[in-house]
Amino acid sequence: MTIESFLQICGYLVLAAIMAISLYGIVKGRSLIKKLIALTILGDAANALIVYIGFRFGAKYPPVLPSLTPAPEDISWFVSVAVDPVPQCLVITAIVINMAITMFLVFTVIQVYRIYGTTMVKKISRLRG
Amino acid sequence: MSLKDAVLGVAMAVFLLMVSVVVVLGGTGWTPSTEIRPLAKFYLENCFNVFNRTWWAASPEAVTSMLWDYRGIDTYYETSVFFLAVIGGVTIFRVTEAKLHRKMDDVGLSLIVKTTTRMVFPLVVIVSASVALHGNLTPGGGFQAGVILAVGPLLLIAAFSRSFLEENLKLSKDRCLIIRSVGLIAIALLVALPLMAGSLSLMQNQAKPWSQALQLPEAVGPIWTSGTLLFFNVAEFLAVGAGFTLLFLLLSAPEEELKRAIGL
Repeated sequence: MTIESFLQICGYLVLAAIMAISLYGIVKGRSLIKKLIALTILGDAANALIVYIGFRFGAKYPPVLPSLTPAPEDISWFVSVAVDPVPQCLVITAIVINMAITMFLVFTVIQVYRIYGTTMVKKISRLRG
Repeated sequence: MSLKDAVLGVAMAVFLLMVSVVVVLGGTGWTPSTEIRPLAKFYLENCFNVFNRTWWAASPEAVTSMLWDYRGIDTYYETSVFFLAVIGGVTIFRVTEAKLHRKMDDVGLSLIVKTTTRMVFPLVVIVSASVALHGNLTPGGGFQAGVILAVGPLLLIAAFSRSFLEENLKLSKDRCLIIRSVGLIAIALLVALPLMAGSLSLMQNQAKPWSQALQLPEAVGPIWTSGTLLFFNVAEFLAVGAGFTLLFLLLSAPEEELKRAIGL
């Protein structure tokens, strides 16, 4: 096993650990704010995992062709050195959706705090009326 | 921490590890190969293939050409989801403008911060515009540029105040909604353009073998517009930038006014 592939596997393990911890935070967090923070960490770790999958050995360049007047050999060179653009394209929409959902949840949590005076889940569930 | 919590945590870790293993083995194997996947090869080969224009997107940037051409409908729906999230925020924080103008203090932060913000704000706007306008040629595009643009008003709200933004820049909540709607309507019109020209396809950038009804030129003089991609990027830039500015304006509204608006 080369050092590069070892580091690759370590990267996957670290991302899986971050996702596990953040999922635990979402389920067991006592405050809505802490749940929200854990949710954003989970979203970012998932996005990082997707971008990570797009990497391949030998790819050194982003998927942008550096010339507007390419020769045929330029395009075959581009295919041989660029990373996979599909995960990047998936992630850019996922990031914006993630941000929009986070904003909406922030608004909801602020409104919950404004009305009930607390963001602790157990206290909110005990409230009547 | 009880035993139940520990078991729960370990079970989640194992579950996520399994999910990751499935994704990784399905996608790449344990380590990334040196080969490129067939789907990515298709996009990289065709996004700017000037020699065989059957499948090309006229943009040297593979991510943008996928975002607004090959997978354009997906991005369109994604914009709709973002729009719904903004609408949700506006609905929860329903405040009228007249109420907000009362009791606005205009203190802000210190003179140093204000002067620095005055210098940085135009740079933020210029950088965001350049990211949007070059989105079809260099890394970047409408989403990224819109998010950068929203940083400018956020800085002004933090350094000066919300009323500075509303009175000096005339950037109120309603104006942000109008700018946002203009961007969204422009996107919708661009999506429906081939339909209006008599083709049965939606969101067509360059002419395809089965529908050649309408094709915007890939370059206007020296400016490389990549068909519809530049216009999509600019419209999305306005929509995302104004949408986030609107959310920041709502979040910075005075607490007493919001409490009064919901009757607390």
